[in-house]
Amino acid sequence: MIKTIESGIPGFDELTVSEITKGGIPEKSSTLIYGPPKTGKSIFCNQFTYHGLLNLEPCLYVTTDHGFKQVQNNMMEFQWFIQNYIQNQSLYIIDGISQLSGKKIEDTNNIKSSFVRNSSDMMVKIGIGTRFVYKKSNHFRSTLDSLNTLFAFNPQQMVIRVLNAYLRRITEAGGTSIVAYTEGIINPNTENMLKSLFDNTIKLDGQNIQIKSHFEEEEELINYKSTYKITNKGIVVKKE
Amino acid sequence: MKKSHIPKLDDFIGGGIPEGSSILFCAVPGVECEAFGYQILNGIIEDGHKGFIFTNVSEPNDIIYEFNQYGWNLEKYLEEEKAFFVDGSSNFIGLPPTGKYSINELSQIEGIVLKAIDDVSNGVGVINNLSTLIDYLEEDKIIEILDKWNKRAKANNTILVYIFTKWGYEQKLINTIKNSVDSIVSLTSIEERVIIGQGFMVTSASWTKPQNNMVLFFVLQPGGVKIYIPKILVTGPYNAGKSSFVKSISKRSVSVERMALEKFPTTIAMDIGHVDHNGFVADIFGTPGQERFDLMLDVLSKEAVGAFIIVDSSAPQTFARAKEMINKTHAKAIPKIIVANKQDMLGALSPEQIREAMKLDKNIPIIPTTITENIGVEKALDALLKLLYGDTK
Repeated sequence: MIKTIESGIPGFDELTVSEITKGGIPEKSSTLIYGPPKTGKSIFCNQFTYHGLLNLEPCLYVTTDHGFKQVQNNMMEFQWFIQNYIQNQSLYIIDGISQLSGKKIEDTNNIKSSFVRNSSDMMVKIGIGTRFVYKKSNHFRSTLDSLNTLFAFNPQQMVIRVLNAYLRRITEAGGTSIVAYTEGIINPNTENMLKSLFDNTIKLDGQNIQIKSHFEEEEELINYKSTYKITNKGIVVKKE
Repeated sequence: MKKSHIPKLDDFIGGGIPEGSSILFCAVPGVECEAFGYQILNGIIEDGHKGFIFTNVSEPNDIIYEFNQYGWNLEKYLEEEKAFFVDGSSNFIGLPPTGKYSINELSQIEGIVLKAIDDVSNGVGVINNLSTLIDYLEEDKIIEILDKWNKRAKANNTILVYIFTKWGYEQKLINTIKNSVDSIVSLTSIEERVIIGQGFMVTSASWTKPQNNMVLFFVLQPGGVKIYIPKILVTGPYNAGKSSFVKSISKRSVSVERMALEKFPTTIAMDIGHVDHNGFVADIFGTPGQERFDLMLDVLSKEAVGAFIIVDSSAPQTFARAKEMINKTHAKAIPKIIVANKQDMLGALSPEQIREAMKLDKNIPIIPTTITENIGVEKALDALLKLLYGDTK
């Protein structure tokens, strides 16, 4: 059986039960979550992050669309309170966007400021952050929300290179990663290449959820389909 | 010749960087590289020359802030017109440009940087970041531009410092870039699942035969690039041969020991040695083996980048203790070598038998040795260095 971790999304783990997994997100795998805007990708990411924290799995969180204060507020709307986890340092945040507003955030032990255009610096901080969470536990999660801003500020090729380095870093450390991306903002060829970099893809369209999991060693490709709703407790997947 | 102001670097390249030369800092993704460029610029301006920073990755204001964090006053140099920016960033993200020069279109980069090079004759220019430039311009075009910049710099006695992150490019492109500069400093990482250390090494310099020593560094705020002597741990059960191992790999060593049962010495606090091998220097810390000194293990193992685990091959009953010591010294998370000592003893297990008995991962090298005869000791040292530095050595 392939080891999995709990997604934290009600209905998701039940939907993804198969002959080779007991459901959930395969441990140490990488997942791309994509779809049109406003379909719940960030909510999914945050739910995944928060559930990990509840389970004492530390998380490396790279935020590029919103400053981390905004992320914290967004999570509060669902009653997901992360302040404690910031304080006890089981959440390591790399804020790649607040700098742009000209606001200087003083770096702390586990909140680092970087800038989406400065890939080298982002990667340095990802390296340090990976080490930080790995030292806490080698069962950690890693969230990147989202690729959109990276694509907006950099050539597509560059983002793919950086993403490759990022995924390799997380995989080597044994982390389970999830990356969000809004469909259609890059050209179709690059988009296909992007999807191929991940072990799993999750497509959200506002109503339907489609999951594709590729298990390299087992040479298995498994598809799951269902519908979902965004509730005040986050995303809820209907079990087919 | 100008001092680079990076500790140790000048020693490796014959005293400094000759005027008009280009130097490329080529970093593995995740290794800090910008600080090298900024530190060189700050030092050369401090020495009374001029400098510029071309940036396509950060806003000039962010760089000024960064300098402040290091404890260097770039703002003052800007006011005194000793330093200026070529702002290749602001216009592309919709911010007002702030440099002496700013770039509106990619096609202007080549010409504007040439102008900047003219403005800082006998000074220094930092190009941050060359890798980002590659993805904006055609690869062939980049090589052409590099050649033009380097020629102009040579004519003006301007030192050019390139910051380059080695993302997944074609090897051919990396080679061509390396060939178009005078000197290359490789910035690499020591990894065991995560980055646990960073090192630099001069791989080429056209003006001298560089020493290819690897130096470990970290970047401090304030302070900038600082080098440190890495710490290597030697641990293992009681009477496995740790002190002898430290003695035999070290040029000099000290042991805090006393006579056990008034017959033979046993380490009660630690062994300290210093190794200097093929251009690699490290401090060696040997732990005691006896359980009653386990409180020392945590302290002694802090910040170690590699470990030798010494086992007595003829005493399999001590292997469980060896594994316990790996845990207690946190050696699980750093590169390590198992030194299978006492191979000359009757009943000594072979490396593969030891691997089996200790249930060790197949990636962990096990080196058969007889430390008292100095057999296999150098091999063990080489094996750990290879793990630490990979193919760069």
